[in-house]
Amino acid sequence: MAENVTIRDVERELGDLRAATTQPGEHPRLRTSVMTLMAWVPPNWVDAATETLAGLAERHPSRTILLFPQPDDPRDALDAEVDLRCFLRGGEEQQVCSEVISIRLCGRRSSAPATVVEPLLVADLPVFLRWRGQCPFGAPELEELVDIADRLVVDTSEWPDAEVAYERLAELLDRIVVSDIAWARTEPWRRGVAALWPDVANASSVRVAGPPVEALLLGRWLSARLGREVELQREPAGEIELVEVDGRQAVPVRFERESSSDLLSEQLEIFSRDRAYEEVVRSFSSAAI
Amino acid sequence: MTQAPASTQENPLLEGLRKRRQAEPCAMTIFGASGDLTQRKLFPALYALAFRSLLPPNFGVVGVARTPMSDDEFREKMRQAVADHGRDEFRQEVWDQLAEGIRYVASDFSDEGGEQHVVDCLNALDKERGTAGNRVYYLAVPPSAIETIVVAMGKRRTTGGWTRLIVEKPFGHDLESARHLNEVIRTYFEENEIFRIDHYLGKETVQNMLVLRFANGIFEPIWNRQFVDHVQITVAESLGIEGRAAFFEQAGAVRDIVQNHLLQLVALTAMEPPIDFSADSVRNEKVKVLKAMHTPGPKHVVRGQYGPGYIEGEEVPGYREEPGVAPDSTTETYVAAKLFVDNWRWADTPFYIRTGKRLPRRETTIAIQFKRAPHPPFEIDSEEGLRPNVLLVHIQPDEGVSLAVGAKVPGQGLTIRTVHMDFLYGGAFRTGLPEAYERLILDCMLGDSTLFTRADEVEEQWALVDAMVAPWKRDHPNFPNYAAGTWGPAAAEELLRRDGRSWRRH
Repeated sequence: MAENVTIRDVERELGDLRAATTQPGEHPRLRTSVMTLMAWVPPNWVDAATETLAGLAERHPSRTILLFPQPDDPRDALDAEVDLRCFLRGGEEQQVCSEVISIRLCGRRSSAPATVVEPLLVADLPVFLRWRGQCPFGAPELEELVDIADRLVVDTSEWPDAEVAYERLAELLDRIVVSDIAWARTEPWRRGVAALWPDVANASSVRVAGPPVEALLLGRWLSARLGREVELQREPAGEIELVEVDGRQAVPVRFERESSSDLLSEQLEIFSRDRAYEEVVRSFSSAAI
Repeated sequence: MTQAPASTQENPLLEGLRKRRQAEPCAMTIFGASGDLTQRKLFPALYALAFRSLLPPNFGVVGVARTPMSDDEFREKMRQAVADHGRDEFRQEVWDQLAEGIRYVASDFSDEGGEQHVVDCLNALDKERGTAGNRVYYLAVPPSAIETIVVAMGKRRTTGGWTRLIVEKPFGHDLESARHLNEVIRTYFEENEIFRIDHYLGKETVQNMLVLRFANGIFEPIWNRQFVDHVQITVAESLGIEGRAAFFEQAGAVRDIVQNHLLQLVALTAMEPPIDFSADSVRNEKVKVLKAMHTPGPKHVVRGQYGPGYIEGEEVPGYREEPGVAPDSTTETYVAAKLFVDNWRWADTPFYIRTGKRLPRRETTIAIQFKRAPHPPFEIDSEEGLRPNVLLVHIQPDEGVSLAVGAKVPGQGLTIRTVHMDFLYGGAFRTGLPEAYERLILDCMLGDSTLFTRADEVEEQWALVDAMVAPWKRDHPNFPNYAAGTWGPAAAEELLRRDGRSWRRH
């Protein structure tokens, strides 16, 4: 990663890279974007983020901006690296390229990321912000990036105390559309429970064998949708293994495979608000109690 | 006030769950199950749907063909077909689930009782797999066999569940035969149960034509005779007849390609905006175009037949030397025509269409060529490299859209060159384009006939084709008139040259 760079350096490097990768006589490599994807990746999330993002550019050609905050770095500087990831179109000679810009935000730059990324956003296309780990509600870096993004993608199962944090997340819902990958993981089971309608219309309890956050979301969802208190009984498990409503077992309805890349990929295709999710998140806020 | 019982309320648990296109429980019967289409397209399509969990768990397939085979032999043959022709990785668990519902009936419908075996098999599937009496009959059989099967199965309709019939092309061989076939089918099936398939309509890029036109505000205002000079539609194949001599000798390029694929592409290009995307709204608009279409006369229709030549450097025989083709055959392997659409939008704007076998490359494109800028204020020399604006819709390969625009060549002075701005489908959306048959089979299971051809559409298409070929009965063509590996007979070039135009350069 080049140290102490400016955004103009980054832009110049992108241009040079595009020009350099096309050899005389070759089909031009096309730069294609359907969005700008920003990812906020604190140091302990770098490996997980890298794994998830591998292959994502191929599915969602975009300008990807990876932001690595290093608030403890004594320098007040930007380090950056640009990469052009090119993919052969199946059976064709032409290559399609997506740009990946990795920026290390050193020192005070960590708390002022908006002015760094704004010049790099692809005009007129949606901006997705994937926030790895717990969102630092109220912190300037989150506030700034929320203001320039169209959609915030989180995974609340990455949050140490999600039940408390949902209340803060609810405050963001008026400013930005939120996708939650933990919520997406519950979708096959929600479909399974929905298939039990109308037998579960008066349900009073739901038993979930699964991780705490997913179980919590399922319990709150059922209460909110049925408009009645539904008691959640949770049994620990690494992933959701069982959902039972008043003793009736739900059969999950699965459509796609569900790796972390698949789940993020699916969220990047959604543009509308998920009212059912927002209702669940708002149910955690003190005003709703 | 008392609350309505839960059974009559809308399911509140579905709120926020995206609608998925999954079919209801059903059984699909493929007539002609030992044929090439079943192996190359239909089973790979069914597997692709199963791979994406788009088939219901209660699903069954009954293969029907004359070849004696057991269920297991048929399954193994289809497993191999999926492995050879499928677009997805082969996953045993997906195949196993699909294979559980596969049955085979060896029957020639001329045998007494053959159809009853099929019905018995379907009834058994209802019991074993819960296919609920819902039936899709896929007629992947030669035209001569369609009527027999329609009558046999039409007389044995289930009382419970729905029934849908998919009929492969060619649908008849002229207007009269198409009308007759429509009458026979409609004796037993309602129009909304009949799905006349033209797989071109299942292609993503063909559907994108409608999105391009009607989801973007910038094209429609200039999509008319005021701004469009002419339209060229090309369906070119580098292959020959690939062992289909018996069929092709009867059909020729005009019945194989023009009557269905090419006229559908013209209709999609020229149609007015439908009021919605329902089956009848879209098809109503297409029928209006087909009704308004005419060719100005025999001089504006060119036919050709390839002689020996070279494709990709390899020497290939002429059509008359292909196995199964008569040595004096007058079947056309190439057709070009000038068409007009007589309405306010398109009056006097030519639509040039062409299709051919053994052309230099495989390509299906729709090129909308716009009129030149009325008064470019540049010196004549600087405009030498400038060609008219063309919006090029690539149906296959290189699926996407290109716009040819004039741009200044960087440097001193002012030189203008035409450059292409490309939108490549596979570049922007890399989820893998579904095969046309996947989309169409699922649409049929869901009862959506938007991308299928209605009876009146087929009849209008035949009426136009009949008018085009009528003069051919009177003359004896001087075939072959183009060499394999070239862009068709000289008369096709002349067709446009007379109008001061030329076919697009490739």
